[in-house]
Order: sequence, then structure tokens, then C-alpha cells
Amino acid sequence: MISFPVYFRVRQLGPDGTPTGPARTLKCDDPGTFTVGKSDDADVQLDGAAVSRIHLSLVLAARSVAVRDEESTNGTFVNGNRVAEVALEAGDRITIPGWELEFAPVEAEAQPGTAAPQAPPAIVLSRIVEGAGAPPPGPVSQLAAIFGSAPEIGLETIRASGHPVEEVRFLSVGGGLGSFVWIDHLRCYGIPAGQVATIGTETVPYRTYQRYCKNSQIPDHERLRSNSLSRPDNIWGFPGYAMREVGKRGFFKGIFQVFGEPTLAESYTPRAGDVFESLDVEARRIGWQQMFRQGQARGLRKTTDGRYVVAYQPRGEGAGGDRLRFIVADVVHLSTGYPATRFVDDFQNFVAQHPERRGLVANAYEEHDAMYAAIEQTRDPVYVVVRGRGIVASRVIQRLSEARKKNPNLQILHSIRSRLGPRDGAVYKRAKRLVRNNVEIQPFNWPKSCWGGDLRFEYERASEERRGVILNTLGGTSTAERSDWVEIAERGAEEGWYRVVYGSISELDPIEGQADRVRILIRTPEGHNEELFAHFLIDCTGLIADIRRSPFLADLLDTYNLPRNHAWSKQGEKRGPTGLKVSNDFEIEGLRNNRGRVYAAGTITTGGPYLAVDSFLGLQYSALRSVDHLVTERLHAVPDLTPFRSLGGWLKWMGGSTP
Amino acid sequence: MTPTLAGRIQTRILLFIVLGLPITLIYALAVNDFIWFWPRMEVFFRFIATVFLIGLILDPVYIFLQTLRWDRDWPFAYQFFFSIVEFGIALALAANGLIPWLDSFDFDDGPEIWTAIWHFTVVFIPMFLALLGPLSVFFIRWRFKAAQFGKI
Repeated sequence: MISFPVYFRVRQLGPDGTPTGPARTLKCDDPGTFTVGKSDDADVQLDGAAVSRIHLSLVLAARSVAVRDEESTNGTFVNGNRVAEVALEAGDRITIPGWELEFAPVEAEAQPGTAAPQAPPAIVLSRIVEGAGAPPPGPVSQLAAIFGSAPEIGLETIRASGHPVEEVRFLSVGGGLGSFVWIDHLRCYGIPAGQVATIGTETVPYRTYQRYCKNSQIPDHERLRSNSLSRPDNIWGFPGYAMREVGKRGFFKGIFQVFGEPTLAESYTPRAGDVFESLDVEARRIGWQQMFRQGQARGLRKTTDGRYVVAYQPRGEGAGGDRLRFIVADVVHLSTGYPATRFVDDFQNFVAQHPERRGLVANAYEEHDAMYAAIEQTRDPVYVVVRGRGIVASRVIQRLSEARKKNPNLQILHSIRSRLGPRDGAVYKRAKRLVRNNVEIQPFNWPKSCWGGDLRFEYERASEERRGVILNTLGGTSTAERSDWVEIAERGAEEGWYRVVYGSISELDPIEGQADRVRILIRTPEGHNEELFAHFLIDCTGLIADIRRSPFLADLLDTYNLPRNHAWSKQGEKRGPTGLKVSNDFEIEGLRNNRGRVYAAGTITTGGPYLAVDSFLGLQYSALRSVDHLVTERLHAVPDLTPFRSLGGWLKWMGGSTP
Repeated sequence: MTPTLAGRIQTRILLFIVLGLPITLIYALAVNDFIWFWPRMEVFFRFIATVFLIGLILDPVYIFLQTLRWDRDWPFAYQFFFSIVEFGIALALAANGLIPWLDSFDFDDGPEIWTAIWHFTVVFIPMFLALLGPLSVFFIRWRFKAAQFGKI
């Protein structure tokens, strides 16, 4: 339940993305929908060339607070990631060009002694949307009226609503990499583009992924943590990215790396930019633009004729305002990705209670380039605490070591929970994970055989509880072995600018009278306290995906009472819910409708039949499973990909001709 | 690669049939100046079958080694190295007359041993290259099914 009033702290952002000037408070006394934009009609007016007339809406309900992008030209971002509609949590930062709105359910205490002058009075907003004088109903309430409360809906009802209706055989909701890979399989299996559609908010399928990469300091020229043969643009995985790169960096190095990895050489990984380029080529080949419908999916219902209807609100060119559109399909695929980023609790609390210090702390997956810019602009001593020991921490430390070239007085304090000796790596049966410099080493985010080896079989066959225990043992934080990362840690420790601090962060507070630092108290494993005063804290402990934060999925879960997977402790105790429960073929069985089928893929299936769902190769695996499932069930005329048809498809891929 | 025992055996059999035997036939003919004379060609088939059998016997050992590795995988370099080991074992056993269906005379030092080495090389290289990816072109599920064939 949300207790009203709720507050949003509104700040103007400078060109480098850092807040300028004092914060104003937006106070919302009652539930309702408030628009934000530069138009006079907006409830909250924010100026700026890049702000749309009605840029976004804040949707405040008794049970949740959400932000919805209103087809703005330049987008709405939550914690650095572009969103269409997402439920908010305390401390979430909504950014639009030039402005930041931060969701703070409680009013921040006045900070005595801070440099900021007395904050100007709050803008009070309260509006009752129901009743006379209410604005025309938005698409969401329109949809609720059309769908009604029945779990199945007749096509005539949809048609009678007067909204455009389109019929296809296959529909993927998400429009990101998961949708791309699934549709790529359908097309290579021989399904014509005219029978397929996909709904997504981004015109480019890898845009969201690319944004996560950029934020976590993987620009296009850096390498991903992915295998040569994991090509989301090629269902056969051959030839791999290493072959592609052979021409560019000398024949022998590329060949030797794939041949020798991981024993004789470091594992080969492709450059982000090369992956995106190859996806562009495949998108053109399979006719992505023809199948793509830009918009935000609003809801899914079974139809009375054994199909499904998905409602979406169009965006982009020719969107046509508020009008909803419907797509009726026999087979639906859901791959909506991370609904929004959620932070670990202490971090979340800090940003909620001390919004004026928000610029001093960042999660590695949100945009935080302003921190590096600030470090590089000065030659004064700067202390940065990096928390976490995963691959993102490795990358952030690499980025900081680059910043050191401009500011030699930068000090990196690496906060990791406990010492990890060379023999303390995770153990699974007879094997043990390697540990180096307190970090567990693994080329990819799961042991390799989870993708297609004995661990995949073992995990798939296991009971729900056993799966949970395996997930816990094989998962966990690890990084890749890269000589440059090892060198940074070793050289930094020797020269005194990199230091590891063991222990868990027990307190995270502002410092009175010092607006540019935070106090971090670390409780060491020996029971001592170590106090750090840091200019910046970069939290690299990862993202938490809560599928209920997507209004589309939450509605689906509630309407059809769909079961979810659960996390388990290593001891086998049941923990909180995770992904949507799917069969081994990635079908959401609760949505089966006569000959209609719904499949899911990606992070929304976490805790299900496959460990590496959130990887390029994992997306290909789930796509293969679900498309093969249609073949074996003889549904909707999906032809089998037999060895010689497969060869034919591959030759077309090689030649660049349409499948 | 992350094969299971069943995957190793299936892949080995497939590669033996589609690459090992046809290449051996061509090689045997080439050595005999493209004249079909079975008594002089037979030894090549007996020898390549011996290497194949030794591989099958060693497969459980490889699987055991895989379980000691955290990634439970089988890097390409291992595949390369152990293929040569299998050949070496076959050659050593044959040269010492320990394989009843092979005459040690055919594997003596000198030109005979080179005939065997070249034979192995022309069979082994295409097989190894097939594992690097081309097999997936025909069998897209192979890489997810631990080197086994058929639907997942």
C-alpha cells in the first residue's frame, strides 16, 4: 500500500547530467494521474527543448506508483534505462532531458549544515481523476473496459471497440534481443515474415542491451562476456565471431584463442560493436522492420476461438495518439526483459532518504558517467568505493584506472564482503571453481556445460528444490580471467592506489557539513569497524529483476493466476518468487488455449528449466526449444528444420539472402 | 565442447561413417595409384577402425576428466591433443604386433609409418574442423544436446 502524500524531488540537470540548483518537491496528496511536460496543459511544467509537450505521466494508485512515458520524443528513463511504463520504488530516479524526478515516498528531512540554501516550497499537486471534469480516459482504462473481467474474450468484442485489429500467426512481445532470436528461428525454419509480428518500444532490437552495456562501462569497442559461437544473429552459431574477426586482427591470434581457450589462451569474447553490427545485418535479412510494431504492450487475453489478443499502445511515427491497437495471434512469445532495475536494500534506503546526495552513489547499471567526468576534471585526491566482486566491478575498476591517467590522485577502495582464499571457490561434485585476487574466476556467468552439457540435463531433470540448490551453487558472483584486470589489481596494490577492504557495508550516511562525500562504515569479518569517507560509491552488486514491476506481466499473473518459480537457499529453504514458471519447452502452460500456445524467454523465466536464460546462447536455446515444440506438436504448420533444410538455410545466411 | 558420454560416442560414430570411411577409401585408392585392389586397401580400413575403437575405449576416461573441470567442458585443444594420443596408441600397439587384425610389418619404421601418419592426418583434420562448428550447420540442436543428435 502506498501512503499519501507521496513526494517527487525535482531537479534540473546540467549538460553533463549532474544536478544543478536546488531541488524542488512535488507533493501528491491523492491518487491520480499527473502529466509532466512543457505544455501549458501539463500538470507539472518542465521547460527544455528536448522535453515533449506531454512527456510522461505519474500514475499514482492506492497500491502502486508508476511512471509512463507518453510517447515522448527523447524518452523517459528510470535509473538510467529507457522505460515505457514501470512501477516505481523508493529512490528510483526518473530522468528526462534536463530534468530528474526522484520518487521519495517520505519527505526528506531538512539537512542542517548542507551547502544548499533553504529549499523552495513544495509544488503541491492533488487531483481527483474520477467524476465530473475528469479528462478523457487514457488507454489503460479504455483497455480495462474492453477486456472486462472474463479470462477469455470474443473477437467480436475487440472489433466492436473500434480499435484497429490485426491478425498474425506468431507474435513476440518485447521487441528486444529475446524476440529477435525467437523470430530469427521462425524465419530460418521457413515461416514467412508476413505471418510474424513483434511489439516493442525500441526500434532497434539491441538498444536496451546496448544501454546496459554502456552504463556498466562496456562501450562498443570493449568485449562482452560471451562466446564466439553465441551469435544471436545466427541460429547455427557458425562461423563464430572469432572467425569474423580473423581478418581484422591477424589470422593466428583469433584462431589460436578459440583453439587454446581456456587453457592455453584467455577465452575469446566478441566486441560489443561487432555484435550490434551483425544484428543489424540479420535484421535486414529477415525483414525485422516489416514485422516490428513500435509500441508498449498493455495486456494479453485468451480469445474464445483458441487464440490470444494482445493490446498495445502505439508509439513513434504514425502512432495516432491514444488509440489502442490489437494483435490477434495463435502463438505468443513473451520476452520483455528486466522490468526495471532494483537496488540492494541499504542502497535503496540511502537514495530514498538522502536525495541531495544521490549524485555521490550509483548502481553500476545506471548511467553514472558524470562520476568519471568529475574525477577526471580535478587533480585533487578522490576516493571511490567500488562495492562487489563480479565482472561489473572488474570493468568499473578498469574504467577508474583509465581515469587515473588524468587524475593520479584517485584512490580506489574495493569493498568486498569477505576474504576468498585460493581454496575457497565453490565446489560442485568433484570440481572446484578457481579463485584469484579474492574473486571466483569463470569465463562466462555459468559453468560452460550449463548451456548444452551434462549440467543442462542434470538441472532440467532435477526437482524444483534441487534446481534451486544447483542454481545457488553454480551461480554467484564471478569474473573472467583477463590479464589486464589482474594487472590493475596487482599494480594498484603495489603502488598504493588500490586497496581491498573486507567486510559488509553496515552504514551508509551523509556527512554533516560536507556535501561532496558519504560516510561508509564497514564491519570487517573480524568484528572491527572501518570508516571510509568516499567521494563516490559505485555499487556493482547487480540488478534484481522483479517481474511484477511490469504492469503487463503483473496483469497476466493476476488474471490467469500463473505460478512463479522461487529462489532457494543452499540448504533447500524456499525463498521469494522469481521468474514465470515455464515447462521445459518454455511454454507458460497456464495460458494454453486449445491450439494456442504462449512461450516465454529471457530473464522473466529465471529459476525455471534452464540456468543461463539471460545470455545470447540461452535465448537461442529457449527459442529452439519453443519452436521445436510447435514442430513436434504439429501446430500451426511450422516445418521441421531437418539436416538438409538446415544446410539450405545456412547457405542463405552465408549468402545474405532472405530466408 | 561440453559432450556427455552418449554425445561423444554418437558424434564419433557419425564422423567415422561420414568422414573417416570415405576419406580412407580415397586415401587407399590414392596410395594404390587409383587401382582397385582390395587386399592392398584393406589395411587402411583395419587401421582407421582401430583408432576409432581406441577412441571409444578412452571416451569414459575423457568424461571423467571433464568432471574434474569446473566448466565440465572439453576445450578444442584437448580434443586436438587426445586425438593424436589415440593415433599414437594405435600406432604403437600395431607396430608391436599387439593388434591381432593388423600386421606389424605394415607399421615398421620407414615409408610404412609415414603412410599411416599421412592417413591419420587427412582423416583427423576434417573431423576436427567439423567439430569447430560445421556439424551445427546440419544439426542445430547438437551443441545444446551435449553432442548427441536428434530433438532436444
